[in-house]
Amino acid sequence: MKITQFIQRLFGFRKQKLSSEGASANPSEKMRKMMAMLSNTQDVELTCDEVFALLDQFTELAAQDEDVAQLMPLVQQHLDMCDDCREEYKVLQSILQGAV
Amino acid sequence: MDKRTNEEWVADLRAGGDRQAQALEDLRAIILRGLPYAIAERIAPNSPESEALVEEVVQETLMRVLEYLDTFEGRSQFTTWAHKIAVRAALTELRRVRWREVPLPEMEMDDDADTSYREAPDKGANPEEQVAQAEMMKRVNRILMEELTDKQRQALTAIMEGFPLEEAAQRLDTNRNALYKLLHDARLRLKKRLEKEGLTPQEVLSVFEQAGR
Repeated sequence: MKITQFIQRLFGFRKQKLSSEGASANPSEKMRKMMAMLSNTQDVELTCDEVFALLDQFTELAAQDEDVAQLMPLVQQHLDMCDDCREEYKVLQSILQGAV
Repeated sequence: MDKRTNEEWVADLRAGGDRQAQALEDLRAIILRGLPYAIAERIAPNSPESEALVEEVVQETLMRVLEYLDTFEGRSQFTTWAHKIAVRAALTELRRVRWREVPLPEMEMDDDADTSYREAPDKGANPEEQVAQAEMMKRVNRILMEELTDKQRQALTAIMEGFPLEEAAQRLDTNRNALYKLLHDARLRLKKRLEKEGLTPQEVLSVFEQAGR
């Protein structure tokens, strides 16, 4: 793949599909996503495994209305960055809210 | 009985015999009550696929709970810890099924000169904005090419296209944790390069957000 194809793929620059693919082909949307990722990038970040080890504690604190972003900022930052871990957090949160 | 204390859960699960069997049975019931939160909206409830998934996840979760029991530090309710394991197992399987037919983007890179920024990046932009956007895309592209490895570019593209980390990792012969580290390194490199060029992510973005206003 050529350089230009790479950027077309990354940012969805496909002339004929700009209007038909919605957000997935919107270069502004993808650029926003990438720049948001860069903006939130920290020198030190927890990995998925490290966050997994703390996720039960984090979720319980959040369920108790504790300020988890203040108490566990590195976990919060990872959840802001990582779709997979955030999805798992949301499900765990819903389980606790359902008080099963 | 599912009102055990953390200590009672750990003791019962370690006990062996009937005591352990009863604890596993009680934990199974708890996990079964939590799983619908993980699979609802992702797979049809009460379908054969759903029932098979639930059984598989419950078995896997109980095995992992026993395997990792010594790592439970009591910083949460034991049942929250067990739910966490079940959620990870369920979502991992659901992602595998959802993405198994989707190939990773091909990323055979070369150093060909860039020539095709004639397309309008944003059809809502006026001609001046389109030129500015094309120039910025070109600049960002150059930074991506110069700073990242092929693997980092491929991983970044996959994530931008919505691939779960877990699935992208498997295709790239690595694991989720290592892929996160790879992407973190990529993001750091890009961020520092932008800074070196006197740009912030917000400034890059502003070129695209002004269009059509």
